[in-house]
Amino acid sequence: MLRLIATRLALLIPTLVAASMILFLAINVVPGSAARSALGVDATPQAIMRFEAQNGLDRPLYVQYADWFSKAIQGDFGKSFQNRVSVGPEVLKRLPVTLELAVLSFLIANLIAIPLGAIAAYRHTKPTDTFITSLATVMGAIPNFWLATLLVLVFALKLRWLPAGGYTPLLEDPLKNLTRMILPALSLGIVSSALLLRIMRASMIEVLSSDYIRTARAKGAPGGVVVRRHALRNAAIPYLTVGAVEFGFLFGGVVIIEDIFRLPGIGSLVLVGIINRDYPVLLGATLVVTVAVLIANMIVDILANMLDPRQVRRSSGST
Amino acid sequence: MSAFPTLSQWSWRRHGAFTGGIVLVGLMLAAAALANWLAPYSPYDLDVSKMLQPPSLAHWLGTDEVGRDVLSRTIHAARISVQVALIAVTVGLVGGTLIGLIAAYFGGLIDLLLIRLMELLFSFPAILLAVVLMASLGTSILNAMIAIGIIFIPGFARLARASTMDVLRQQYVEAARTIGMSDMRIMFREVLPNILGPSLVEAAVAFAYAILLESALSFLGLGAQPPEPSWGNMINTGRGFMAQAPWLGIVPGLALFICVLGFNLLGDGMRDYLDPHMKE
Repeated sequence: MLRLIATRLALLIPTLVAASMILFLAINVVPGSAARSALGVDATPQAIMRFEAQNGLDRPLYVQYADWFSKAIQGDFGKSFQNRVSVGPEVLKRLPVTLELAVLSFLIANLIAIPLGAIAAYRHTKPTDTFITSLATVMGAIPNFWLATLLVLVFALKLRWLPAGGYTPLLEDPLKNLTRMILPALSLGIVSSALLLRIMRASMIEVLSSDYIRTARAKGAPGGVVVRRHALRNAAIPYLTVGAVEFGFLFGGVVIIEDIFRLPGIGSLVLVGIINRDYPVLLGATLVVTVAVLIANMIVDILANMLDPRQVRRSSGST
Repeated sequence: MSAFPTLSQWSWRRHGAFTGGIVLVGLMLAAAALANWLAPYSPYDLDVSKMLQPPSLAHWLGTDEVGRDVLSRTIHAARISVQVALIAVTVGLVGGTLIGLIAAYFGGLIDLLLIRLMELLFSFPAILLAVVLMASLGTSILNAMIAIGIIFIPGFARLARASTMDVLRQQYVEAARTIGMSDMRIMFREVLPNILGPSLVEAAVAFAYAILLESALSFLGLGAQPPEPSWGNMINTGRGFMAQAPWLGIVPGLALFICVLGFNLLGDGMRDYLDPHMKE
């Protein structure tokens, strides 16, 4: 197991380097756009040259990247073009908000997907199954930013049960924090649950038709016990793999949802970076999100291996 | 690969979801194609004397904050969404299929490098990559098409690579090699037509996702720019008027939802036909 974790960690490093290169390239794909965007369309060529010299943007791209990378691994992500604030501490300050939102959303998605998926599989081809599957299809087609808008309309504007936005740190007032996080987390979680539900249902159907389940049933184990004790664990492996992808997807969704609910997380920082054309901010924020997604994938990979020891042998044999 | 059923074999009960998908997508495409004829008003005509009017006989879905007809703008927005999705999916389908085909056909180092790059691109949250690309390319509807297209490349590449590997094991490819056909001819004449099936199914699902992404970008102000109507920017505007004029946000969102639902159902239906084992 330790070897597996070490291998996965070792693989993470080159992946991160490559990811940072791609982000750096994507942001600088149009040469000179940083200066033009920061100074506006009316900027004179002299002003652009001065700005580029000041920020080291007149050097070849690979030199800029090497310079940025050597500082980034020491935790220095540069300074914002806009207000000269250091990007690293700003990103760190906002990370807990985004992490909380992503984890809470993921929790909601799972709370919907696991029981409903299991019930649908257990009642396979019955009306309950049809109803749950249709529900998943509908939930999966709802745009999360539209759902957020509707939730605000119903729960904040009409019923006045919950606030329409804003943030209170978790440690300052947990209850107030929850009332402000629940609508954003629901907006992301409900939509994400659709895919998870379908995967849960599909893998449960497969597991429930296997021989050992039939044996457990033949021995007289009650239906609920069969599902909880035998089937769920084995259905968890494909579910976890898709779950990791969905978790990454959730991180993408925070850009919009944080903006709608005025949450001071990394998603809204990405947006600020774009609106102000503040590339150091944009690069730092997107890189942190990418790191979070890659780490989540790695953890899930390790978890899946723990649940299914056959995978350990398979993966160590193939890598 | 099973053929699509003929009309006499079609069972509305069994293919309910697929039928629903075809109907919804058909409606959406008709709205996009016939927007100029279907929309009762121009999507751009302002009339401040009629601003924020609730749905009425004159304006079935009400008017917006500057008095424009919401129904007309919603219909015209379908055109933008379909255009963006069509170009983006084509970019992803062509780019991804070529990369997957080349990677699988030549194998070795080319395969390793290309597929690792694709896996890496795949690990980025899509909307994030789109947002970063838009920041660099600049905000416009054309750039949204390119950015979304790039996001689709890895998915199509993985699919094309897997299908190509299957096809390469077939005897007719071996026969083509034996008679001395060039690599290019084998790739494009023998392999390509046989790997397109699954990619086309994926294209239907990607279409739904492209429409969602375009709306998300426009919602953030990075896609279609006002006064051009897009479901995304209409929902964003509607958000500010949710208390006094909720139809402004609800109507375009509903159109977007129906459109995504339609393409998802269509994709699911196509997948069931091409691979009945996937039905679970």
